[in-house]
Amino acid sequence: MNDLFLSFVPGKSFLHRLDPRTKVLGLMAVSFCILKVSSFEIMALMAIIFAILVIACHLPFLHFVRSVRPMLPFFTFIFLMQLLFTEGTHLFDFGLLKGTYEGFLLGSILALRFIFLILFAALITATTSPSGITSGIERLLRPLPLKYLGISSHDLAMMMSLSLYFVPMLFDSFRDLRDAQISRGLDIRKEPVKAIMSLTVPLVRMALRSVDEVALAMESRCYTGEGRSSMYVLEFRSLDYALLVFYCVLLFLLYI
Amino acid sequence: MIKIKNLSYQYPDGSSALDSITLNIRKGEFVAIAGKNGCGKSTLLRHINGLLPPTEGSVIVKRMDTSDPINLQEIRRTAAMVFQDPQSQFIGMTVEDDVAFGPENLSLPSAEIKRRVSTALESVGMSGYRYNTPRTLSGGQKQKVALASVLTMEPEVILFDEVTSMLDSNSRVDILSLIRQLHEAGTTIVYVTHLIEELVHADRLVLMEKGCIIQNGNPREIISKISSGSFGFDAPPIIELSKKLVGAGIIKSSFLPLSKDELLEAICRLK
Repeated sequence: MNDLFLSFVPGKSFLHRLDPRTKVLGLMAVSFCILKVSSFEIMALMAIIFAILVIACHLPFLHFVRSVRPMLPFFTFIFLMQLLFTEGTHLFDFGLLKGTYEGFLLGSILALRFIFLILFAALITATTSPSGITSGIERLLRPLPLKYLGISSHDLAMMMSLSLYFVPMLFDSFRDLRDAQISRGLDIRKEPVKAIMSLTVPLVRMALRSVDEVALAMESRCYTGEGRSSMYVLEFRSLDYALLVFYCVLLFLLYI
Repeated sequence: MIKIKNLSYQYPDGSSALDSITLNIRKGEFVAIAGKNGCGKSTLLRHINGLLPPTEGSVIVKRMDTSDPINLQEIRRTAAMVFQDPQSQFIGMTVEDDVAFGPENLSLPSAEIKRRVSTALESVGMSGYRYNTPRTLSGGQKQKVALASVLTMEPEVILFDEVTSMLDSNSRVDILSLIRQLHEAGTTIVYVTHLIEELVHADRLVLMEKGCIIQNGNPREIISKISSGSFGFDAPPIIELSKKLVGAGIIKSSFLPLSKDELLEAICRLK
Protein backbone atom coordinates (compact mmCIF):
# COMPACT_ATOMS: atom_id res chain seq x y z
CA MET A 1 0.00 0.00 0.00
CA ASN A 2 3.02 2.25 0.37
CA ASP A 3 3.10 2.93 -3.36
CA LEU A 4 -0.60 3.37 -4.00
CA PHE A 5 -0.52 7.06 -4.83
CA LEU A 6 2.40 9.16 -5.94
CA SER A 7 4.65 8.43 -2.98
CA PHE A 8 8.06 9.89 -2.17
CA VAL A 9 11.27 7.93 -2.88
CA PRO A 10 14.18 9.46 -0.91
CA GLY A 11 17.36 10.15 -2.88
CA LYS A 12 20.08 12.67 -3.71
CA SER A 13 19.65 13.11 -7.47
CA PHE A 14 19.58 16.53 -9.18
CA LEU A 15 15.77 16.37 -9.28
CA HIS A 16 15.67 15.63 -5.53
CA ARG A 17 17.86 18.67 -4.91
CA LEU A 18 15.82 21.10 -7.05
CA ASP A 19 13.64 23.65 -5.27
CA PRO A 20 10.05 22.25 -4.96
CA ARG A 21 8.72 25.43 -6.62
CA THR A 22 10.84 24.73 -9.73
CA LYS A 23 9.42 21.21 -9.87
CA VAL A 24 5.80 22.31 -9.38
CA LEU A 25 6.20 24.97 -12.09
CA GLY A 26 7.98 22.39 -14.26
CA LEU A 27 5.06 20.01 -13.88
CA MET A 28 2.70 22.79 -14.93
CA ALA A 29 4.86 23.58 -17.99
CA VAL A 30 5.09 19.91 -18.96
CA SER A 31 1.30 19.57 -18.52
CA PHE A 32 0.73 22.46 -20.94
CA CYS A 33 3.08 20.77 -23.43
CA ILE A 34 1.32 17.42 -23.05
CA LEU A 35 -2.10 19.00 -23.62
CA LYS A 36 -0.82 20.91 -26.66
CA VAL A 37 1.02 18.18 -28.60
CA SER A 38 -0.87 15.66 -30.67
CA SER A 39 1.81 13.79 -32.56
CA PHE A 40 3.22 10.38 -31.71
CA GLU A 41 6.75 11.56 -32.51
CA ILE A 42 6.66 14.17 -29.73
CA MET A 43 4.99 11.66 -27.39
CA ALA A 44 7.86 9.27 -28.10
CA LEU A 45 10.33 12.10 -27.37
CA MET A 46 8.56 12.70 -24.06
CA ALA A 47 8.81 9.02 -23.21
CA ILE A 48 12.57 9.14 -23.87
CA ILE A 49 13.00 12.29 -21.72
CA PHE A 50 10.93 10.68 -18.95
CA ALA A 51 13.01 7.47 -19.08
CA ILE A 52 16.28 9.47 -18.95
CA LEU A 53 15.04 11.41 -15.92
CA VAL A 54 13.94 8.22 -14.13
CA ILE A 55 17.31 6.56 -14.78
CA ALA A 56 19.24 9.73 -13.80
CA CYS A 57 17.31 9.87 -10.50
CA HIS A 58 17.94 6.16 -9.80
CA LEU A 59 14.21 5.54 -9.44
CA PRO A 60 12.61 2.13 -10.04
CA PHE A 61 10.34 1.99 -13.12
CA LEU A 62 7.99 -0.25 -11.11
CA HIS A 63 7.15 2.74 -8.92
CA PHE A 64 5.67 4.51 -11.96
CA VAL A 65 3.83 1.42 -13.17
CA ARG A 66 2.15 1.32 -9.73
CA SER A 67 1.23 4.99 -10.01
CA VAL A 68 -0.48 4.52 -13.39
CA ARG A 69 -2.09 1.14 -12.71
CA PRO A 70 -5.07 2.33 -10.59
CA MET A 71 -6.06 4.70 -13.44
CA LEU A 72 -5.84 2.15 -16.27
CA PRO A 73 -9.61 1.38 -16.37
CA PHE A 74 -10.24 5.12 -16.82
CA PHE A 75 -7.68 5.41 -19.64
CA THR A 76 -9.10 2.30 -21.34
CA PHE A 77 -12.60 3.80 -21.15
CA ILE A 78 -11.40 7.05 -22.77
CA PHE A 79 -9.60 5.12 -25.50
CA LEU A 80 -12.62 2.94 -26.27
CA MET A 81 -15.00 5.92 -26.35
CA GLN A 82 -12.83 7.66 -28.95
CA LEU A 83 -12.22 4.46 -30.91
CA LEU A 84 -15.90 3.54 -31.18
CA PHE A 85 -17.56 6.96 -31.43
CA THR A 86 -15.29 8.86 -33.83
CA GLU A 87 -16.29 9.17 -37.47
CA GLY A 88 -13.69 8.05 -40.01
CA THR A 89 -12.10 5.19 -41.91
CA HIS A 90 -13.70 1.89 -40.91
CA LEU A 91 -11.39 -0.54 -39.10
CA PHE A 92 -13.64 -3.21 -37.48
CA ASP A 93 -17.20 -3.86 -36.22
CA PHE A 94 -18.08 -4.21 -32.56
CA GLY A 95 -21.76 -5.09 -32.48
CA LEU A 96 -23.63 -1.97 -33.55
CA LEU A 97 -20.51 0.17 -33.08
CA LYS A 98 -17.67 0.66 -35.50
CA GLY A 99 -14.02 1.16 -34.68
CA THR A 100 -12.31 3.77 -36.88
CA TYR A 101 -8.71 4.59 -37.72
CA GLU A 102 -9.19 8.24 -36.69
CA GLY A 103 -10.82 7.08 -33.44
CA PHE A 104 -7.84 4.83 -32.77
CA LEU A 105 -5.40 7.73 -33.26
CA LEU A 106 -7.45 10.17 -31.17
CA GLY A 107 -8.04 7.61 -28.39
CA SER A 108 -4.35 6.72 -28.27
CA ILE A 109 -3.28 10.37 -28.07
CA LEU A 110 -5.82 11.15 -25.35
CA ALA A 111 -4.92 8.08 -23.27
CA LEU A 112 -1.19 8.82 -23.71
CA ARG A 113 -1.74 12.42 -22.59
CA PHE A 114 -3.32 11.23 -19.34
CA ILE A 115 -0.63 8.59 -18.81
CA PHE A 116 2.16 11.16 -19.29
CA LEU A 117 0.41 13.59 -16.93
CA ILE A 118 0.32 10.91 -14.23
CA LEU A 119 3.90 9.80 -14.94
CA PHE A 120 5.39 13.30 -14.69
CA ALA A 121 3.31 14.03 -11.57
CA ALA A 122 4.63 10.77 -10.10
CA LEU A 123 8.19 11.84 -11.00
CA ILE A 124 7.73 15.08 -9.07
CA THR A 125 6.18 13.42 -6.02
CA ALA A 126 8.82 10.67 -6.08
CA THR A 127 11.61 13.25 -5.89
CA THR A 128 9.96 15.76 -3.52
CA SER A 129 8.80 15.06 0.01
CA PRO A 130 5.08 15.82 0.57
CA SER A 131 6.03 18.56 3.02
CA GLY A 132 8.36 20.05 0.37
CA ILE A 133 5.55 20.10 -2.19
CA THR A 134 3.19 21.73 0.32
CA SER A 135 5.81 24.37 1.21
CA GLY A 136 6.49 25.00 -2.49
CA ILE A 137 2.81 25.45 -3.35
CA GLU A 138 2.31 27.62 -0.28
CA ARG A 139 5.12 29.93 -1.39
CA LEU A 140 3.85 30.02 -4.98
CA LEU A 141 0.35 30.96 -3.76
CA ARG A 142 1.60 33.60 -1.32
CA PRO A 143 1.53 36.56 -3.79
CA LEU A 144 -2.15 35.88 -4.62
CA PRO A 145 -4.67 38.15 -2.84
CA LEU A 146 -6.24 35.20 -0.98
CA LYS A 147 -6.81 37.16 2.21
CA TYR A 148 -9.71 38.95 0.50
CA LEU A 149 -11.39 35.54 0.22
CA GLY A 150 -10.83 34.93 3.94
CA ILE A 151 -8.17 32.24 3.44
CA SER A 152 -4.38 32.15 3.48
CA SER A 153 -1.84 30.31 1.33
CA HIS A 154 -1.05 28.29 4.50
CA ASP A 155 -4.68 27.15 4.68
CA LEU A 156 -4.77 26.17 1.00
CA ALA A 157 -1.49 24.26 1.21
CA MET A 158 -2.64 22.46 4.38
CA MET A 159 -5.96 21.55 2.73
CA MET A 160 -4.12 20.12 -0.24
CA SER A 161 -1.74 18.19 1.97
CA LEU A 162 -4.59 16.74 4.06
CA SER A 163 -6.53 15.80 0.92
CA LEU A 164 -3.52 13.86 -0.35
CA TYR A 165 -3.31 12.18 3.06
CA PHE A 166 -7.00 11.27 3.16
CA VAL A 167 -7.27 9.66 -0.30
CA PRO A 168 -5.27 6.51 0.53
CA MET A 169 -6.75 6.46 4.04
CA LEU A 170 -10.29 6.45 2.63
CA PHE A 171 -9.26 3.77 0.16
CA ASP A 172 -8.04 1.61 3.08
CA SER A 173 -11.28 2.25 4.98
CA PHE A 174 -13.33 1.37 1.90
CA ARG A 175 -11.43 -1.91 1.48
CA ASP A 176 -11.93 -2.83 5.16
CA LEU A 177 -15.64 -1.98 4.96
CA ARG A 178 -16.12 -3.94 1.75
CA ASP A 179 -14.42 -7.02 3.27
CA ALA A 180 -16.50 -6.67 6.45
CA GLN A 181 -19.76 -6.43 4.50
CA ILE A 182 -18.86 -9.33 2.18
CA SER A 183 -17.97 -11.49 5.20
CA ARG A 184 -21.47 -10.76 6.52
CA GLY A 185 -23.10 -12.03 3.36
CA LEU A 186 -23.27 -9.00 1.07
CA ASP A 187 -23.17 -9.98 -2.62
CA ILE A 188 -22.01 -6.89 -4.53
CA ARG A 189 -22.86 -8.37 -7.95
CA LYS A 190 -26.37 -9.55 -7.05
CA GLU A 191 -27.38 -6.51 -4.97
CA PRO A 192 -25.44 -3.50 -6.31
CA VAL A 193 -27.84 -0.86 -4.92
CA LYS A 194 -27.80 -2.39 -1.45
CA ALA A 195 -24.01 -2.69 -1.71
CA ILE A 196 -23.63 1.01 -2.56
CA MET A 197 -25.80 1.97 0.42
CA SER A 198 -24.10 -0.39 2.84
CA LEU A 199 -20.66 0.85 1.81
CA THR A 200 -21.16 4.59 1.31
CA VAL A 201 -23.10 5.36 4.50
CA PRO A 202 -20.50 3.89 6.92
CA LEU A 203 -17.67 5.23 4.73
CA VAL A 204 -18.99 8.79 4.97
CA ARG A 205 -19.49 8.34 8.72
CA MET A 206 -15.92 7.03 9.11
CA ALA A 207 -14.57 9.88 6.98
CA LEU A 208 -16.35 12.50 9.09
CA ARG A 209 -15.10 10.89 12.30
CA SER A 210 -11.53 10.78 10.92
CA VAL A 211 -11.74 14.47 10.01
CA ASP A 212 -12.86 15.23 13.56
CA GLU A 213 -10.03 13.20 15.06
CA VAL A 214 -7.38 14.71 12.79
CA ALA A 215 -8.65 18.22 13.58
CA LEU A 216 -8.34 17.43 17.30
CA ALA A 217 -4.82 16.03 16.81
CA MET A 218 -3.81 19.14 14.84
CA GLU A 219 -5.16 21.40 17.56
CA SER A 220 -3.39 19.35 20.21
CA ARG A 221 -0.10 19.85 18.33
CA CYS A 222 -0.42 23.63 18.41
CA TYR A 223 -1.86 24.18 14.92
CA THR A 224 -3.53 27.56 14.64
CA GLY A 225 -3.30 28.09 10.87
CA GLU A 226 -1.01 31.08 11.29
CA GLY A 227 2.68 31.71 11.69
CA ARG A 228 3.91 28.27 10.72
CA SER A 229 7.48 27.64 9.68
CA SER A 230 8.72 24.76 7.52
CA MET A 231 11.36 22.09 7.90
CA TYR A 232 12.38 22.80 4.32
CA VAL A 233 14.27 25.94 3.39
CA LEU A 234 13.24 26.89 -0.11
CA GLU A 235 16.07 28.40 -2.09
CA PHE A 236 16.47 28.97 -5.84
CA ARG A 237 19.90 27.99 -7.15
CA SER A 238 21.39 28.60 -10.60
CA LEU A 239 19.91 25.36 -12.01
CA ASP A 240 16.45 26.43 -10.77
CA TYR A 241 16.76 29.79 -12.54
CA ALA A 242 18.01 28.08 -15.72
CA LEU A 243 15.05 25.71 -15.69
CA LEU A 244 12.57 28.54 -15.14
CA VAL A 245 13.96 30.29 -18.24
CA PHE A 246 13.74 26.99 -20.12
CA TYR A 247 10.04 26.59 -19.17
CA CYS A 248 9.29 30.08 -20.46
CA VAL A 249 11.07 29.44 -23.77
CA LEU A 250 9.33 26.08 -24.16
CA LEU A 251 5.85 27.53 -23.58
CA PHE A 252 6.61 30.52 -25.82
CA LEU A 253 7.63 28.21 -28.69
CA LEU A 254 4.58 26.01 -28.20
CA TYR A 255 1.87 28.63 -27.89
CA ILE A 256 3.07 31.68 -29.80
CA MET B 1 2.91 21.86 37.52
CA ILE B 2 -0.82 21.05 36.99
CA LYS B 3 -3.55 22.29 39.32
CA ILE B 4 -7.10 21.11 38.74
CA LYS B 5 -9.70 22.66 41.02
CA ASN B 6 -13.38 21.65 41.24
CA LEU B 7 -13.39 20.71 37.55
CA SER B 8 -16.75 19.70 36.16
CA TYR B 9 -17.63 19.07 32.55
CA GLN B 10 -20.93 18.38 30.88
CA TYR B 11 -21.32 17.13 27.33
CA PRO B 12 -23.45 19.26 24.98
CA ASP B 13 -26.37 16.85 25.61
CA GLY B 14 -26.23 17.77 29.34
CA SER B 15 -24.79 14.49 30.64
CA SER B 16 -22.01 14.86 33.18
CA ALA B 17 -18.52 13.60 32.28
CA LEU B 18 -16.50 15.06 35.18
CA ASP B 19 -17.80 16.02 38.60
CA SER B 20 -15.82 18.34 40.92
CA ILE B 21 -12.37 16.93 40.19
CA THR B 22 -9.55 18.37 42.28
CA LEU B 23 -6.06 17.14 41.54
CA ASN B 24 -2.52 18.52 41.76
CA ILE B 25 0.35 17.03 39.78
CA ARG B 26 3.92 17.95 40.73
CA LYS B 27 6.80 18.50 38.31
CA GLY B 28 8.56 15.23 37.45
CA GLU B 29 5.78 13.07 38.90
CA PHE B 30 4.45 9.92 37.19
CA VAL B 31 0.70 9.91 37.79
CA ALA B 32 -1.40 7.04 36.53
CA ILE B 33 -5.13 7.58 36.07
CA ALA B 34 -7.20 4.41 35.94
CA GLY B 35 -10.84 3.54 35.75
CA LYS B 36 -13.37 1.70 33.68
CA ASN B 37 -14.39 2.81 30.18
CA GLY B 38 -16.47 5.98 30.24
CA CYS B 39 -15.35 7.06 33.72
CA GLY B 40 -13.96 10.37 32.39
CA LYS B 41 -10.20 9.61 32.19
CA SER B 42 -9.76 10.78 28.60
CA THR B 43 -12.01 13.81 29.16
CA LEU B 44 -9.79 14.82 32.08
CA LEU B 45 -6.67 14.56 29.87
CA ARG B 46 -8.32 16.67 27.16
CA HIS B 47 -8.95 19.37 29.74
CA ILE B 48 -5.28 19.39 30.75
CA ASN B 49 -4.32 19.68 27.05
CA GLY B 50 -6.78 22.56 26.62
CA LEU B 51 -8.86 20.69 24.05
CA LEU B 52 -11.99 21.01 26.20
CA PRO B 53 -12.98 24.10 28.19
CA PRO B 54 -14.21 23.39 31.76
CA THR B 55 -17.94 23.80 32.38
CA GLU B 56 -17.04 24.66 35.99
CA GLY B 57 -13.78 24.95 37.91
CA SER B 58 -10.32 25.52 36.52
CA VAL B 59 -7.32 23.74 35.07
CA ILE B 60 -3.99 25.52 35.51
CA VAL B 61 -0.95 24.21 33.63
CA LYS B 62 2.30 25.87 34.68
CA ARG B 63 0.39 28.95 35.92
CA MET B 64 -1.60 29.18 32.66
CA ASP B 65 -5.38 28.85 32.78
CA THR B 66 -6.73 26.55 30.03
CA SER B 67 -9.94 28.60 29.75
CA ASP B 68 -7.96 31.57 28.40
CA PRO B 69 -7.52 31.05 24.60
CA ILE B 70 -4.31 33.12 24.61
CA ASN B 71 -2.60 30.41 26.69
CA LEU B 72 -3.67 27.44 24.63
CA GLN B 73 -0.69 27.13 22.30
CA GLU B 74 1.83 27.36 25.15
CA ILE B 75 -0.26 24.94 27.26
CA ARG B 76 -0.30 22.40 24.42
CA ARG B 77 3.44 22.77 23.95
CA THR B 78 4.03 22.36 27.70
CA ALA B 79 1.61 19.45 28.18
CA ALA B 80 1.56 17.46 24.94
CA MET B 81 -0.82 14.58 24.40
CA VAL B 82 -0.48 11.14 22.81
CA PHE B 83 -3.85 9.71 21.78
CA GLN B 84 -5.17 6.17 22.05
CA ASP B 85 -5.33 5.52 18.30
CA PRO B 86 -2.10 6.67 16.63
CA GLN B 87 -3.68 6.33 13.18
CA SER B 88 -6.16 9.07 13.96
CA GLN B 89 -3.48 11.62 14.84
CA PHE B 90 -1.22 11.36 11.78
CA ILE B 91 -1.15 14.47 9.65
CA GLY B 92 1.97 14.05 7.51
CA MET B 93 2.30 11.68 4.58
CA THR B 94 5.73 10.55 5.75
CA VAL B 95 6.96 9.83 9.28
CA GLU B 96 9.38 12.76 9.01
CA ASP B 97 6.63 15.20 7.94
CA ASP B 98 4.35 14.05 10.72
CA VAL B 99 7.00 14.37 13.40
CA ALA B 100 7.92 17.85 12.10
CA PHE B 101 4.30 19.09 12.25
CA GLY B 102 4.44 20.24 15.90
CA PRO B 103 7.69 22.24 15.72
CA GLU B 104 6.55 23.77 12.40
CA ASN B 105 3.47 25.06 14.24
CA LEU B 106 5.78 26.57 16.87
CA SER B 107 7.48 28.56 14.05
CA LEU B 108 10.91 27.12 14.83
CA PRO B 109 13.74 27.61 12.33
CA SER B 110 14.36 24.84 9.79
CA ALA B 111 17.68 23.67 11.30
CA GLU B 112 16.11 23.36 14.76
CA ILE B 113 13.13 21.40 13.35
CA LYS B 114 15.49 19.00 11.58
CA ARG B 115 17.53 18.55 14.78
CA ARG B 116 14.43 17.86 16.87
CA VAL B 117 12.99 15.44 14.30
CA SER B 118 16.24 13.44 14.16
CA THR B 119 16.60 13.38 17.96
CA ALA B 120 12.97 12.37 18.55
CA LEU B 121 13.03 9.61 15.93
CA GLU B 122 16.30 8.29 17.32
CA SER B 123 15.00 8.30 20.89
CA VAL B 124 12.04 6.09 19.95
CA GLY B 125 14.14 3.91 17.63
CA MET B 126 12.34 4.93 14.43
CA SER B 127 15.16 6.68 12.51
CA GLY B 128 15.10 3.98 9.85
CA TYR B 129 11.45 4.71 9.03
CA ARG B 130 11.87 8.43 8.37
CA TYR B 131 10.44 8.37 4.85
CA ASN B 132 7.82 5.65 5.37
CA THR B 133 4.11 6.33 5.15
CA PRO B 134 2.81 6.24 8.77
CA ARG B 135 -0.23 4.12 7.93
CA THR B 136 1.97 1.29 6.60
CA LEU B 137 3.69 0.84 9.99
CA SER B 138 2.72 -1.71 12.65
CA GLY B 139 0.64 -0.63 15.67
CA GLY B 140 3.67 -0.36 17.96
CA GLN B 141 5.67 1.58 15.37
CA LYS B 142 2.75 3.96 14.82
CA GLN B 143 2.54 4.66 18.54
CA LYS B 144 6.31 5.29 18.65
CA VAL B 145 5.96 7.81 15.80
CA ALA B 146 3.05 9.43 17.67
CA LEU B 147 5.31 9.71 20.73
CA ALA B 148 8.15 11.16 18.61
CA SER B 149 5.65 13.71 17.24
CA VAL B 150 5.06 15.14 20.71
CA LEU B 151 8.71 14.81 21.79
CA THR B 152 9.69 17.29 19.06
CA MET B 153 7.74 19.96 20.93
CA GLU B 154 9.99 19.24 23.95
CA PRO B 155 7.07 19.17 26.40
CA GLU B 156 7.51 19.23 30.16
CA VAL B 157 4.44 17.06 30.64
CA ILE B 158 3.27 14.22 28.40
CA LEU B 159 -0.32 13.03 28.63
CA PHE B 160 -0.76 9.43 27.49
CA ASP B 161 -4.34 8.40 26.72
CA GLU B 162 -4.54 4.57 26.81
CA VAL B 163 -1.63 4.40 24.38
CA THR B 164 -1.07 0.66 24.80
CA SER B 165 -4.68 -0.48 24.52
CA MET B 166 -4.41 -1.29 20.79
CA LEU B 167 -0.95 -2.90 20.96
CA ASP B 168 0.35 -6.46 21.25
CA SER B 169 2.29 -7.38 24.39
CA ASN B 170 5.78 -6.81 22.89
CA SER B 171 4.88 -3.36 21.57
CA ARG B 172 3.29 -2.55 24.92
CA VAL B 173 6.51 -3.41 26.75
CA ASP B 174 8.48 -1.21 24.29
CA ILE B 175 6.17 1.78 24.76
CA LEU B 176 6.07 1.42 28.56
CA SER B 177 9.86 1.23 28.63
CA LEU B 178 10.09 4.45 26.56
CA ILE B 179 7.65 6.16 28.93
CA ARG B 180 9.72 5.09 31.95
CA GLN B 181 12.87 6.45 30.26
CA LEU B 182 11.13 9.79 29.71
CA HIS B 183 10.07 9.89 33.35
CA GLU B 184 13.61 9.09 34.52
CA ALA B 185 14.84 11.97 32.31
CA GLY B 186 12.58 14.33 34.30
CA THR B 187 9.43 14.53 32.17
CA THR B 188 6.15 14.69 34.09
CA ILE B 189 3.96 11.79 32.99
CA VAL B 190 0.19 11.55 33.21
CA TYR B 191 -0.71 8.06 32.10
CA VAL B 192 -4.29 6.97 31.54
CA THR B 193 -5.05 3.27 31.33
CA HIS B 194 -7.59 0.65 32.30
CA LEU B 195 -4.92 -2.06 32.62
CA ILE B 196 -4.10 -2.52 36.32
CA GLU B 197 -0.72 -4.20 35.66
CA GLU B 198 0.58 -1.01 33.98
CA LEU B 199 0.07 1.07 37.13
CA VAL B 200 2.81 -0.40 39.30
CA HIS B 201 5.56 1.94 38.10
CA ALA B 202 3.63 5.14 38.76
CA ASP B 203 4.48 7.44 41.67
CA ARG B 204 0.80 7.97 42.31
CA LEU B 205 -2.42 6.33 41.23
CA VAL B 206 -5.69 8.16 40.71
CA LEU B 207 -8.70 5.92 40.42
CA MET B 208 -11.83 7.32 38.75
CA GLU B 209 -15.43 6.24 38.62
CA LYS B 210 -18.39 8.01 37.00
CA GLY B 211 -16.50 11.28 36.56
CA CYS B 212 -15.21 11.41 40.16
CA ILE B 213 -11.89 10.56 41.82
CA ILE B 214 -12.49 7.67 44.22
CA GLN B 215 -8.86 6.95 45.19
CA ASN B 216 -5.71 9.06 45.00
CA GLY B 217 -2.50 7.75 46.51
CA ASN B 218 0.16 5.06 46.58
CA PRO B 219 -0.32 2.68 43.61
CA ARG B 220 0.75 -0.39 45.59
CA GLU B 221 -1.83 0.21 48.32
CA ILE B 222 -4.62 0.95 45.85
CA ILE B 223 -3.77 -2.03 43.63
CA SER B 224 -3.77 -4.28 46.73
CA LYS B 225 -7.30 -3.03 47.47
CA ILE B 226 -8.27 -3.61 43.82
CA SER B 227 -6.86 -7.15 43.97
CA SER B 228 -9.02 -7.87 46.99
CA GLY B 229 -12.10 -7.07 44.92
CA SER B 230 -12.67 -3.43 45.90
CA PHE B 231 -13.92 -0.86 43.37
CA GLY B 232 -15.39 -3.53 41.09
CA PHE B 233 -12.16 -4.16 39.15
CA ASP B 234 -11.05 -7.64 38.23
CA ALA B 235 -7.51 -8.30 39.43
CA PRO B 236 -5.17 -9.13 36.53
CA PRO B 237 -4.00 -12.79 36.30
CA ILE B 238 -0.46 -11.91 37.44
CA ILE B 239 -1.80 -10.45 40.72
CA GLU B 240 -4.15 -13.43 41.22
CA LEU B 241 -1.15 -15.74 40.78
CA SER B 242 0.96 -13.69 43.22
CA LYS B 243 -1.83 -13.80 45.82
CA LYS B 244 -2.12 -17.58 45.53
CA LEU B 245 1.65 -18.10 45.73
CA VAL B 246 1.93 -15.82 48.78
CA GLY B 247 -1.22 -17.35 50.34
CA ALA B 248 0.17 -20.86 49.92
CA GLY B 249 3.43 -19.76 51.55
CA ILE B 250 5.45 -20.59 48.44
CA ILE B 251 6.65 -17.01 48.15
CA LYS B 252 7.66 -15.17 51.27
CA SER B 253 7.54 -11.50 50.43
CA SER B 254 6.99 -8.41 52.55
CA PHE B 255 4.77 -7.06 49.76
CA LEU B 256 2.49 -8.59 47.14
CA PRO B 257 4.30 -8.85 43.77
CA LEU B 258 2.15 -6.85 41.37
CA SER B 259 3.98 -7.15 38.09
CA LYS B 260 5.61 -9.91 36.07
CA ASP B 261 9.08 -8.57 36.95
CA GLU B 262 8.33 -8.38 40.68
CA LEU B 263 6.91 -11.91 40.71
CA LEU B 264 9.93 -13.20 38.79
CA GLU B 265 12.25 -11.52 41.28
CA ALA B 266 10.37 -13.08 44.22
CA ILE B 267 10.56 -16.53 42.60
CA CYS B 268 14.29 -16.10 41.89
CA ARG B 269 14.86 -15.30 45.56
CA LEU B 270 13.57 -18.79 46.45
CA LYS B 271 16.75 -20.42 45.11
